Amino acid sequence: MESQRTKPPPPPLPFSLLPVDENQKATEFRVFSISKPHMLAFHLAWLSLFSCFFSTFSIPPLLPIIRDDLKLTDADIGHAGIASFVGSIFSRLAMGPACDLFGPRIASATLSLLTAPIILATSLVSSPQSFILIRFLIGFSLANFVANQFWMSSMFSTNVVGLANGVAAGWANMGAGVTQLVMPFLYNILIKYFNIVPFTAWRVIFIVPATFQVITAITVLVYGQDLPTGNYKKVRTQYTKQTQKENLLGILFRGLRNYRGWILALTYGYCFGVELTTDNVIAQYFYDRFHVDLQLAGTIAASFGMANLFSRPIGGVISDKMGKRFGMRGRLWGLWVVQTVAGLLCVLLGRINSLWGSIVVMCGFSVFVQAASGLTFGVVPFVSQRSLGVIAGMTGSGGTVGAVVTQLLLFSGSKFSKQTSISLMGTMMIVCTLPITLIYFPQWGGMLCGPSFDPEKANEDYHLLE
Amino acid sequence: MAARGILLASLLLFSCLAVTCYGIVLFSSLPSTLVVTASPKQGQVLKAGEDKITVTWGLNQSLPAGVDSAYKTIKLKLCYAPISQVDRAWRKTVENLSKDKTCQFLIVSRAYDASNKAVQSYEATVERDVPTATYFVRAYAYNSDNVEVAYGQTTDSHKTTDLFQVQAISGRHVSLDIASACFSAFSVVSLIGFFVVEMRRAKQSQKK
Repeated sequence: MESQRTKPPPPPLPFSLLPVDENQKATEFRVFSISKPHMLAFHLAWLSLFSCFFSTFSIPPLLPIIRDDLKLTDADIGHAGIASFVGSIFSRLAMGPACDLFGPRIASATLSLLTAPIILATSLVSSPQSFILIRFLIGFSLANFVANQFWMSSMFSTNVVGLANGVAAGWANMGAGVTQLVMPFLYNILIKYFNIVPFTAWRVIFIVPATFQVITAITVLVYGQDLPTGNYKKVRTQYTKQTQKENLLGILFRGLRNYRGWILALTYGYCFGVELTTDNVIAQYFYDRFHVDLQLAGTIAASFGMANLFSRPIGGVISDKMGKRFGMRGRLWGLWVVQTVAGLLCVLLGRINSLWGSIVVMCGFSVFVQAASGLTFGVVPFVSQRSLGVIAGMTGSGGTVGAVVTQLLLFSGSKFSKQTSISLMGTMMIVCTLPITLIYFPQWGGMLCGPSFDPEKANEDYHLLE
Repeated sequence: MAARGILLASLLLFSCLAVTCYGIVLFSSLPSTLVVTASPKQGQVLKAGEDKITVTWGLNQSLPAGVDSAYKTIKLKLCYAPISQVDRAWRKTVENLSKDKTCQFLIVSRAYDASNKAVQSYEATVERDVPTATYFVRAYAYNSDNVEVAYGQTTDSHKTTDLFQVQAISGRHVSLDIASACFSAFSVVSLIGFFVVEMRRAKQSQKK
């Protein structure tokens, strides 16, 4: 406080580029601008998460070579796939409180810089056990998703937060699809033009995702900013009374006590989790059932993931528009409808017998399931402000838990045929979306009931008014 | 006897052609007319990229003449033994040869000259992209439409005898390890460097 008396206050940040609300959060979302701090934060966030998805899913396209080099069996490959998701369950849960305490910029950059050596260590692997361990450790980097959504929720106002969250996550998710095309391409270049032996070539390529991740992490540290008004340390020391109350356990329990976080974790497990599972099984499904060649099956799998370019943002837009017209009740109804339709399309996908019919239904399914993910994160920012990170972390790791559970129950071993498994997955989606009807906000209402404003309850947990 | 032999041979040939008319060649439909040997003994371990393998092939001379009239090319392939196929669906043996994944490595391909009764041989170094596994050698005879019409292999029909192993190269190189270590060190050092700079800035702004 002394410094403010002796020195003139710093000039206000140039917010004239984007209109802002009373919290200095942007009320408009302009994709093609990099105005500080909002749109710059957006571009840094989606690029750094894109690099994490790129790295985590960089191993599957090279598996045909890796499995022969490391003498892997089908069981090893299945375990490694599940391990990569299990790694992210714990890291996403931990990332929540980390964002609340340290800010998304430091949390995400630290994670990226610490997982980059692990990606490089992939080139040193020479046994199935170390392969599974590496995939488990690389999966940790997916926790940056929580930091990404937290950052967007801090920078953008309630009328565009769904869109900002949806575009940031959707474009970043494409990393999983792009890597399926880039890694084999680089591998072919090394084999053909540099005459490197296959068993060495695949090891060399991992320098690319690692370097990309390091570069994005450093740019986030240098150019990023946690909040519209400044970085966490600076902003938080201005509110000393609040920071004294804030400690890790307090934030954590506040978030864990909130039942809405648990419901959203379950429903996110059955939209994003289903999307992850489908990413893993769809290429083999088309290859085995319709006998398309491997190249085409891989292209279909990549296009399922690339639909994220527009489908997740569309989910965010729908959430914001429903929010504008009908408030929180609209957002919840939108989420329930879109996710249930996705479940129905999934059931249909398992039952269609023709190749082109399956491709058409798969495209519809991909759009709806990814839009449902976008709609989920149109609701998450409103659940709790002080424990936003914890709620985002619970929801995010719920997504990967859903992926692990679905894969273990339906897609490992041969109890059901693949098409039956896909239909069962759709049924599980529909059932697990029903709990959204139980979400209720006293001042905004829920799906089936209107708001009943309770001043005492509101002050305790919520600081946001739409 | 000779007439019966010719009849049998032509019947075999026609049945093979009949099957290939529908585009699907089943392994069980192929006659084993070629005699194939390979230099490695049972249980021998060859090092990929270093050791040599010599394969020989020729028509089984006890068969009647004319059996090989359709053969145009002979291809010798390195094939996985059953033990290396366990729990590895990408090496599975299936009847339909266009989907069969047993033999994935071509050793040599040669035109077939029916008039040359001598046994052909070929020596090569085991390629560096051959993975560590247990193998045997099989030769396929192709007709002018490039469809399999006959085969021969070094092992018995149950693929249990005369199997040899290949030890693959290690893809790791010291230079690669060093490069990985340097990049990792850079990553961690830049993180620590950032924190140091931040702390210094915080101290400076506190002093002011």
